[in-house]
Amino acid sequence: MTSRFSYGRIAHVLLWCGLAVASLWVSIPKIYSGVTEFPLRPTGPLHTSDSYLKFATGVSGLSKNLISIFQSTNASKRVIIFTRKDDTFSCGLGMTIAYLASPHLVRVFEINGTHPDNELSKMNPHEVAAVVFCRTNRPAWLPAGKVFGSGLEVVSMTEKVRR
Amino acid sequence: MSALALLGAFGTLLVAGYGVLALLVRQKTRLTLTEQIAFSWLLGIGVVSLLLWIFGLFVQGVLLPGLVSIICLSLGFVGWRQTVPLSLGRRGPKPFEILLGIIVVIEIASVFYLSFVHTLGWDGLLNWEIKARYAFANDGIIPATYFSDSGRAFSHPEYPLAIPFTELWLYFWLGQADQFCAKTIFPAFYVVGIFLLVALGRRLAGRTWIGLLVAAFLFFVPQITVEVGSAIAGYTDFPLSVFYLATIGYLFCAAKPKNDAFFRLYAACLALLPWVKRDGVILWTVAAACGVFVILATRKSYRSLLAFFPGLLIICGWRFYLNAMHALQGSDFLPVNLQTFGSHLYRIFPLLSALLEEFHDLRIWSLFWFVVAVGVAYLLRRMRDPRVLVLVTALIVPIALYLSIYVFSSWPNYLDHVGLSISRLLMHVTPVGFLITMLAVSRRSLKNRARVHECGVVTCVIAGSERTPGVELA
Repeated sequence: MTSRFSYGRIAHVLLWCGLAVASLWVSIPKIYSGVTEFPLRPTGPLHTSDSYLKFATGVSGLSKNLISIFQSTNASKRVIIFTRKDDTFSCGLGMTIAYLASPHLVRVFEINGTHPDNELSKMNPHEVAAVVFCRTNRPAWLPAGKVFGSGLEVVSMTEKVRR
Repeated sequence: MSALALLGAFGTLLVAGYGVLALLVRQKTRLTLTEQIAFSWLLGIGVVSLLLWIFGLFVQGVLLPGLVSIICLSLGFVGWRQTVPLSLGRRGPKPFEILLGIIVVIEIASVFYLSFVHTLGWDGLLNWEIKARYAFANDGIIPATYFSDSGRAFSHPEYPLAIPFTELWLYFWLGQADQFCAKTIFPAFYVVGIFLLVALGRRLAGRTWIGLLVAAFLFFVPQITVEVGSAIAGYTDFPLSVFYLATIGYLFCAAKPKNDAFFRLYAACLALLPWVKRDGVILWTVAAACGVFVILATRKSYRSLLAFFPGLLIICGWRFYLNAMHALQGSDFLPVNLQTFGSHLYRIFPLLSALLEEFHDLRIWSLFWFVVAVGVAYLLRRMRDPRVLVLVTALIVPIALYLSIYVFSSWPNYLDHVGLSISRLLMHVTPVGFLITMLAVSRRSLKNRARVHECGVVTCVIAGSERTPGVELA
């Protein structure tokens, strides 16, 4: 009986109960807002990449379109992606495009500013399957490609374009 | 259709894991149902991902999943022949335990809901799922060009494959790469983490309700449930923490004589640590050092040292494979040598300050680290017990090693590197922090043997306090 109701035991119980209550007091608002923050999203095999692309360009269901563009080009050639060094949106978009561009090898150029003319002019067009501009500007001398929402343009390097 | 396919994928994983569990336990030790499910999952993940990788070196296409399925079913047959003895309590659950059980079930449901509401996190998609997707598109093998493609260096081709190849296993069953279905793996890890905490609560503290109570609090650590890199984001940090929990928890239980089955379970989970994440090598080193200490302190046979061989084999095998593939190495860290260490020593105090700041961040950790600090203070008096020393070491040393690694960070601002990743690294030892809390909370019950008997289950407390580990083998 002595040990069951000793001061030490009471202090022990009070300490841990206090810690438990304080932990819940601090955690519950954060957890509650985390649980209720987002509604259920549409599910699908590409739901994460679609969400990223929608966030960056404003266009829904973009992954499938991009995959079919890349699949229509020569798989043995590279996809070139231009992103802006100072723009995290642009870098994130570039990485998502690189993810979708399989089985092509990719090369990502992080450029200062928005005009990749210098880098592009040095490239051999016969080694490139497509050029992707992520929040960067396509040089005027390159034929227009497909534009998706704000800040994404994909130029497939067909024979016509190469000439 | 997808649900059936997922059921098939999960079923084969669990069957294979159960077979391995049966081989490790050898009908000598009773395990609770939650333990059996938890270990079937962890070992199943290890077996299936390793088999996909190894067989992928020789076969591809339909043959690869077919071959792995046959082995899974064969292991299941072994499990059926050598059923793991089930540990059942002598009494039914108390009302308080039922209440805690209901709370835990609601939390698990919330984690599943959260997992489906959120997309895969950044690393979840671009570091981990990417490997599963590329392997699936290439008949089950990651294309050799992926490892040396500089344009995809951001996705860390050098990271190990336990989680990506579990996703790949799902894709084989589904017949397509599916980012949504891939997420189902991660709440399953949460369930396994909860099961292990409950089971270890019973073993360490001798009472089921302590395990249930502590497991219920796992949900209230924001970093585990809702923060970036949490259990639902598709990152491998939480799965790694569950493997580490199993490793250290069962090493604790193995530290008593005639608990060889627990030591084998420790060895199996230890081997898988470096296969889950690259940082797992650090956890492997710490857990292996703890294992050596336990072997020496408890005078186990020197044959026990063989337990470290599978892990070494995986570490070396993966390194050899990366070299053969000419894989690009990550550029986040400078070469680790004395010269770099000396020239970057000035970083130590800012790093310590960043760590303290992280501990104080209530938005991410709530009061978790404060509670753990109180728990460690409680256990200081019991440090002569090698098991307690192991537990505290397994918590503190990985944190120290993780912090020291930032001394070698190659980021222009190394504190940005810390800010971005330290919370996820600390997650690896979070469940071990819960074990320490459990032991501290149960301080009184350790002295009260009558209450320990009340459970009528196999506990480390029984073994520890009465020197009758044989009770467990009844």
